[in-house]
Parts: sequence; structure tokens; C-alpha cells
Amino acid sequence: MQIKIKTLTLQKLVILGILICIAIVFSFSTRNFFSQKNLLNVGKQVSFVVVTGAAVTLLMVSRHLDLSVGSTVALSGVISAMLAQGGVPTGYAFLLGTFIGLLVGAINAVLVVKLKITPLIATLGTMYMGRGITFIITDAKTIREGLPDNFTMLGRETLGPVPIPLIIMIIVIIIFIILERKTLLGKYSIAIGGNRTAAVLSGINADSVVMLLYMIVGLFAGLSGVMQASRLGVGEPNVGFGFEFDVIIAVILGGTSLAGGEGSVLGTLIGAFIVAVIGNGLNLLNVLSFYQSVVKGIVLVFAVLLDRKLKEWIKRR
Amino acid sequence: MTIRRFRIDVQKLVIVGVLIIIMVVLSILTPKFLTYLNFNNVVMQVSLVMLAGSAVSLLMISGNIDLSIGSVLAFTGVMHAYMSKHWFPTGLSIFFTILLGGVFGLVNGLVVSKLKITSVIATLGAMYIARGLAFIIARADGGANITSGLPGNFEVLGRATVGPIPLHVLIVIAIVIVFIFIQTKTNLGRYAYVIGGNRVSAILSGVRVDAVLITLFVFVGLLTGFCGTILVSRIGSGVPRIGLGFEFDVIVAVVLGGTSIYGGEGSVFGMVIGALIVGFVANGLNLLDVQAFYQVVFKGLILVVAILIDRLIKEKLG
Amino acid sequence: MDEKLIEIRNLSKYFPGVVALKDVSFDIFKNTVHCIVGENGAGKSTLIKILTGALKRSEGKIKYNGKEYEPHSTRDAMNAGMSVLFQELNVVDQLTVGQNLTLGVEKSRFGFIRKSDKAAQSSEVLKSMDPSISLNEQVLYLSVAQKQVIEITKAITSDANVIVMDEPTAALSEEETERLFEIIKGLKEKNVTVIYITHRLSEIFQIGDYVTVFRDGQMIGTRSVSELSYCRDEVESCAELIKMMLGKVVVEHYVASTVDYNNEVLELTDVSNNKLHDISFALYRGEILGFYGLVGSGKTEIVRVVYGLDESEGSIEIQGKMVQVKDPRTAIVKGISMVPEERRTEGLFTKLSIRENIPIMNMKTVSRYGIASKKKERQIARKYIDEVHIIARDEDQEVALLSGGNQQKVVVSKCLNAESAILLLDEPTRGIDVGAKEEIHNIIRQLSSEGASIIVFSSELPEIINLCDRIILLYDGKIKSEIKNGEDIDTERIMHIVTGGKGDIGAD
Repeated sequence: MQIKIKTLTLQKLVILGILICIAIVFSFSTRNFFSQKNLLNVGKQVSFVVVTGAAVTLLMVSRHLDLSVGSTVALSGVISAMLAQGGVPTGYAFLLGTFIGLLVGAINAVLVVKLKITPLIATLGTMYMGRGITFIITDAKTIREGLPDNFTMLGRETLGPVPIPLIIMIIVIIIFIILERKTLLGKYSIAIGGNRTAAVLSGINADSVVMLLYMIVGLFAGLSGVMQASRLGVGEPNVGFGFEFDVIIAVILGGTSLAGGEGSVLGTLIGAFIVAVIGNGLNLLNVLSFYQSVVKGIVLVFAVLLDRKLKEWIKRR
Repeated sequence: MTIRRFRIDVQKLVIVGVLIIIMVVLSILTPKFLTYLNFNNVVMQVSLVMLAGSAVSLLMISGNIDLSIGSVLAFTGVMHAYMSKHWFPTGLSIFFTILLGGVFGLVNGLVVSKLKITSVIATLGAMYIARGLAFIIARADGGANITSGLPGNFEVLGRATVGPIPLHVLIVIAIVIVFIFIQTKTNLGRYAYVIGGNRVSAILSGVRVDAVLITLFVFVGLLTGFCGTILVSRIGSGVPRIGLGFEFDVIVAVVLGGTSIYGGEGSVFGMVIGALIVGFVANGLNLLDVQAFYQVVFKGLILVVAILIDRLIKEKLG
Repeated sequence: MDEKLIEIRNLSKYFPGVVALKDVSFDIFKNTVHCIVGENGAGKSTLIKILTGALKRSEGKIKYNGKEYEPHSTRDAMNAGMSVLFQELNVVDQLTVGQNLTLGVEKSRFGFIRKSDKAAQSSEVLKSMDPSISLNEQVLYLSVAQKQVIEITKAITSDANVIVMDEPTAALSEEETERLFEIIKGLKEKNVTVIYITHRLSEIFQIGDYVTVFRDGQMIGTRSVSELSYCRDEVESCAELIKMMLGKVVVEHYVASTVDYNNEVLELTDVSNNKLHDISFALYRGEILGFYGLVGSGKTEIVRVVYGLDESEGSIEIQGKMVQVKDPRTAIVKGISMVPEERRTEGLFTKLSIRENIPIMNMKTVSRYGIASKKKERQIARKYIDEVHIIARDEDQEVALLSGGNQQKVVVSKCLNAESAILLLDEPTRGIDVGAKEEIHNIIRQLSSEGASIIVFSSELPEIINLCDRIILLYDGKIKSEIKNGEDIDTERIMHIVTGGKGDIGAD
């Protein structure tokens, strides 16, 4: 009898195993790895990546890319800071900042779907435009003065023992797991990524679905952005460099194939943890952050290779 | 005169026309435009884009992309500063730096052709590796940047002039001519077009696709390494933060010049005009006291518009 | 109960330079299995594309359920109840069976998927056809046969009245084919009409009620299957059907080549892979060897093995020496060149000019030390334009603008320029007008007289008979027979063998 494991489940188990191995290695080689403080730290870092990564997972499952999330994070962060600085109640500032992300997503949606520009170039373009606008409106300076005290509530406060960013992350994960498994959006994303012809022939409006996905990614990138600004306590135009990269690595490590058709939010969660744990562990070992950049690059290439080898192996069974 | 040649000619004419119009408009808008000093400025800004762009044009004609050139620029620049400070005389350091860029290109080429990873992902990974290495080397020297202890002749490459013309501009012109030659007259250039135009036909026609792609990536690496040495030489110190957005400038120039994202068509000459257009627009905005950051927005817009126009031309003639 | 469902009257379809369908008229009755047969290029797929809304007719009328039928898109056709099972399966591997069945027609509230009656209904239908498929299985793990069943189920539950099946048994085992036939018989009771395209004549007699024969874009005849003589292993019993498919095959043009039977240039021994079984044959100097078989018989697979695109067991020898052909480059180096089946997507660089296309397989002829000479390129291009009669403005014309026949001539010139000893041609004159066909055939004959050894892989019998000295017949990935060409060639027997009849080589 052939044991037919869903390809994705197997992959998730594998990366979970890798995560555990890495964590064990670090807990032996450093002193503080498994301390509560450290783990919370890791969790907080992961939350920013996962909040955006969950949405990007769905987008990449449909076989589309978004390289602009990093600049959206910066843009929404500084706008929420500027609004709060200008007297807008913090809650609304955060809301509007997130909404800016939605706007960027809408622009991406139009570029890719209506104007039919390939996602790589379109989102590369919005990335630079977004970054540029961020620098323009802040005059390249950090927005520090006049921010209300409660500006840091999203990023630094806790609900009981749990930091708010983690809570937000958990909520977002739950939302996207539901979306992924129980809604038309999730199913259609898989269909469009797996066999677009079959999807269209079945009557699915692929264009609308993809546009919606881009807007959702923008929205949640905006959310990550305001969370990040709140944690830093300032509106910083220099954040987010390399963020899109962290997100993509997390998504791919989590089992989402570049070719689309499969992926999972939980996998992205594990993938994000792997990246964060490696970064954290290296930090604790006093390794320069620049080395982490190198490691991340290597991890990305390995992730893609591993993903492909795994799938070939499964297909052969 | 055939239709295809007609269309490429039209495209080249159009962009040259656009360039001229921009220059005319700018010279009307501001008196500072038509000065020698200003032109010198533009050319200096644009020369590095053209240098890397020569090899990137061929690479993009073959249907591939290299997102790592900005980071490799930084890395090789810092390495040049480091090597000429600690190990080698300047000239030798330049030589090794260029080779180092070539090694990066080699790795990119191998990952893309042998490991069969798309060039987007592969060079995205290389981008982060190179950037990280740039910072590491700078740190290894002691500070954030390598500013002191550089040899006396370090700045020669970047600042010397031959009569009225900067030395590196002459070098760039020479290399651009070489690559125009490669693109139009060599087998390698032909292979780039066929691989980009129809990869399956290329394989069935016996083209050594892997070897060609690796060669093209190596060329990009070599020229990027050269850019790195020139830039740090001009600045006078090894700064790991340079080159941010460089790959974007190059891609915009290449696409504006008529190279399709999917490959199969384009030209080095077009890239030159494209680089000049972007350069003059940026320059004009500068002269008109438009903030530098608007330029980034502008560049994004230009890229999108360029692609749309390209498609419009194809549909009109197709 | 023979009510007309589809009435086709005077249907014609023209493309520039080619008449795909000419004045086709016949009826399809409700709740029948209506088979359509014919050689490649006979017009079957054009007809289907028009019926399913993928193409617009040039002339004629179609009535569907008594009303005028003119779908503007595949969606229109689907909404009218016409569904198609293509050879490329339209299922999403990453979803489960149940998810595929409800794809696009889910019941939902606020975007959340709810259980629907449709789901229950389709699972009933599915169970009746193949109880072994479970709803929760990921489609990726299913066999081709099972995926087909899913597509059929989907069509039924979307209230299709007509299901068109295009060579559905091509990838199925005997057992699976039997199962499919049971399902098809069951479909008739569910108020579904099946249009069944095939080239396997025995199948027509197993499940068909009517059969329409196409040849050269025309409808030759429509018969009820019960009228035709039963098709068994002997040629004579399939006679009438075969005669209709073949028409008159004129053997006038064949001229024997001068073959050096002492000089064996290529030999395959027991070559097998997952599509081929024990292929063994030899090719001699100066010979034109032909491989004939219908779709799926293994022609393209043999080409791919010889040219280094696919792996295989068994041995390949060139000039008596064993070789490992691992990619097309190696093949070319060893003296083999190929004219591929799809000229636009496999043989040419459509954005480039004639002059730039021709030398690509052998750049040495126009370049030295890697630097190409435009002058030499022009010379070579002009030489071939002359020799091969390529009609174009000049050598700088973009290849995409040439007609099919001239495009093919450019591909042939590429191979001529490679100066190979062995030339493989895969469907060399498909979709090409008669005049260019003749010219290409003459080029082939000329080449063989100059000493080249040529293999022609074709599904057009007249072409094979006009050109080849020896003909190898293929069916289902196996060699069934080898025939020497001559005046007394038995075309009916050939057709019988390639449609599944008993050959005289190997076990069936």
C-alpha cells in the first residue's frame, strides 16, 4: 500500500525538523538562546515578516511576485508617524498608514493585471517609486519630534505576558489559514497558480483574483509597516531594506513553490522562524550582521534547490 | 529595407528623437544646461551605467537579468580599496578586482545554468551576499568605510583626465564600442539573440546555451568590477553603501533602449541612448531644483512607461 | 430515438493559403457516440475547434438543438452545453478531487466555501464511474485515466449535452480503456452525446454508433457503424473504412534512390524507454527511410532519442561505432541534424532574418575565430534562397513574415548548412501548400542522391510513399512492419497495420 502524503505536509515536517535542529545547535553553542527574553525577541522579529508573509504566500501560490513590500513598509510607517505628529489620534494614524499599503497594492494590481507588465518589473518599479516618495516626504530624516506617547503601543506594549506584535501575528495567521483553506480566494489562488488554463476554463475570473491578492499584500505590508514604526517609536524612512527578501525566503522555505500552485501559511511561519532563528543565533554568537546577509543569500538558493529536489522525490514515489 | 529592420530603426529613431527633444526642452528651461561643466557632469554620472549596461544589454537580450550588480559594485569597490591599501599596488589591485567581479558573474552563471534556478532568484541571492561581503570587508579594515591609508595614486582612475575628457569616460566609450561589436558581429552576440528569442529552437539548433549564458554573466561581473574600481577611485574611499539602486538604473537604460524583458531583441546602442535620456532627465530635474528623491519616483515611472510604449509600438507594427 | 442534435451544413474554414475544411455537412444524433476519423491534417481538429468556440467558421451553418449555433468563445460553447476533453488534462493537480469537481461552481457565502448539492451530485456520478477515486485525494497522485474520469464527471454535472473526446485512449492501458468505454456507454443513458475522435479503428466498432471520415478537409462519408463490415485483425474486414480514409493514393512520384547497402550509417538496437518498445532498425548511405504511423505511434519519440533529447536503453551506432547522444549539440557534432515538427516554436528564430537564421547550426561557415562576416552570411543566405527557392523580399526579411512553406525551407536550409551525413525530418510538410511540398520533396531526393542518409517521420501516407525507399510502420511505440517501396505497395494493408491491425514484426 502506498502511503500518499500530501506533498505539502511532508515539506512542512521537513522544515520543522530543520528548525528544531538549528535551534538545538544554537542552544548548545550559546548561553541565552532558550531564555524567555530571547525567544520573545525572536518572536517579535518574526511577526513583522509573517504579517506580510502570510499575504505574500497566497500571492506566490498564484504564481505572482511582489518585490515592493519593503518600501511599502517604510512608506506606511513614516506616514503614520507624520500623521500622529500632526495631531491625528494614534489609532487613526495607524489605520491610515495601513491603508496606504492597500493603495500601493492597488497600484501593483493595475500595473500587473490591467497593463500586463510582468510582476518583476512592475513591483520593482513601485518599490523604487515607494522608496522615493518615502524619502521625499520625510526629507530623508527620521520623524521623531512630537510623537504621542502611545505611538509605541502597537510595537512595544504587551497584553499580559504576550507582546502585541505576536498577538497580531497570530491573528493574521489564523485569518490566512482560514482564507487558504475555507474560502474561494484560497482555492482560486491555488487553481490559478497550478493550472491557469483549467482555472479560466472553469469560469474563474483570474484577473480579479490576482488584483485582490496584490491589494491584500499591500494592506498587510502596510500593517507590518505601522507595527515596525510603532516598535521603533519613530518614522524611519530607512527601514525595510531587504524586507521583501526576508519575506520571499520565508515563503519559499515554507514550501511555496516559485512555480505556484502550492504553499502554506504555516510553512511560511516556520520558514520565517528559521531565518529569524539563524539571525538571532548568529547575533548571540556575536557574528556581524553583515555575515547574516551573506547567509541569507545562500539560504535562499538552498531553499529553492531543496524545494525542487523534494518535489521531484515525491513525484517519483 | 525589411520590416524588422524598419521597426528597430524606428525604435532607435524614436529614442534618439526623445533624447533630442529633452535636451532642447531643458536648454530652454534653464541656462545652466548647455554648459560644458554640466555636460561633463551628466556624462560622468551616466558613464558607469553605460559601462555595466554594455554587458547587461547582452544578458537581457538572452532573456536573463542580473539584480546583483549594485551590490557587486559596492563589494568590488570596497575590495579594491582594501587590496590597494593592504596588499597590492593600485594597478594590480584594479586587475584583481575586475577578476573578482568576474568570479561573481561566474557563480551567477553557474547557478542559473547548471542548477537551473531562474536568474531573478539567483541574482537576488547574489545581491544580498555581495552587499553583506561589502560591509564585512569594510569593517575588517576597521571603520565603516575605508578612507585612510589609501595609496597616493588611488584616485587616478576616477579623476584623471586626458585633455578635457575624463579618463574613465574614454575607457567606457572604448568598452561600449567593443560590446557593440560583440553584439553585432560575433557569434556570441548572435547566440544571445537566439537564446533570448527562442530558447527551444536554440537548443535544437545545437547552441551551447549553458556556455553562452555563463560567458554573458561573467562579462557582466567583469564590467561591474571595473565600475566598482572607478567609482571608489572617484570618491576616494571604499564605501560599502554605494550602488544602491544601480541595477535599477541599468535596467531602465537597457529597457528604454529597446531591449525586451523577455529577450530576443535590443541593442547596446539603444542602451546608450536610454542611459543618456535618464541621465539628462535627472540632470534637468537637478538643475531645476527638483529634489533628488523625486528622481527615484520618476525613474520608476519611466520604466513603466518605457515598457508600455514598447508594447504599443509592437502592436502597431505587428 | 434518432433525433438530430447537431446539424452541420456546408461548413468551410479557410486560412491564408490553406483550406482546412471544405463544404462539410453531416448530422450528429442525440445520445449517440459519434466517431470522427481521419489522418492528421484531415480537418478533425479544425471541426472540433469550431464546434467548441475556439475558432470561427468561414462559411456554412451549424444548428444545435434546432437553433442556430455560433459560439463566440469557448465560454459560450460551454454555456450551451458543449464540453471538451483535451489531451492536455485540465485539472489542477494541487487540489483534491472534490475541489476540482466544484472548481468554478462552488456554493459560497461571503467568499466562504459551503457544501453544495452540486458536490453531492458530482460525487455520486464519480462513484458510478470509478469507485476507486476518493474525494479527498490530491489529483496529483491520480493516473491519467482517473484524471479523465474527473473531467468527464465535471462535464456531466455542468449539464453538458455534448462531450468531445480527443484521442482519449492515447495514454490509457487496455484495462483503463475498457473502463472508459463502459463509462461512455453509460453516458448515453444520461442524455449525453459523445463525439469521439480517434484513429484506432477497432475502437469505433467497440463503442461507436456512427462514424464520419474526414480526408483533406472534406467529409468523405458518414455511416452508421452497424452498416460497416466489422473490423478485426484482417485487413479485408476494415476495408471499407480504410478505403474511405485513404482515398486514392497515387504512387507516381516515387523514384528509387541509389542506396549503398554496404554502408550502414545508423543503427538502433532494442531502443526502449517509457514510450518506445525495442526499436531496432538500420539506415544506409544514400537511403530515404520513412517512419509512418498515426498520432501517438512513437514517431516523435524515436526522433527525440536519436537527436539526444530523451534517454533510452538500447544502443545507437553511427558508422558502426557506439555513441552516446546526450543532447542536440552532440548529435550535430556526430553528423545528425533535424528539421523539427513545429517550425515556428522549435525550428526558427522568428524575430530574426533569414540571413541570421540559416547559419546557426554551423556558425563556422560564416565566421572565423568567433567573428561573423556579414558578407559570408549574405552569400550563404542567397545561395540557399536560390537552391531551395525561398520566396522572400531578400535575405534580411524577418522569418516570421514568410509563409509556412518558405519558413520550412529556411529550417531545411539550416540543416543543409550543417552539412550533416544524416538528416531527420519530423513532419516536414505539415500545413504547407502543395507547391512548396513538392519542392521540399525534391530537395530531399536531391540530398539523398548526393550521398546523405535521410529519415522522414510523417503521418501523411502519400508523402511517405512518394519519397521513401523503405517504410517502417509504427503503432503504439512498436515497430510493426518494414516494407520496401515499389509499384505493388499495398496501401490498404499499411493503413490496417498503423490503425492497430496485426503486423508481421514482433508480438502484438
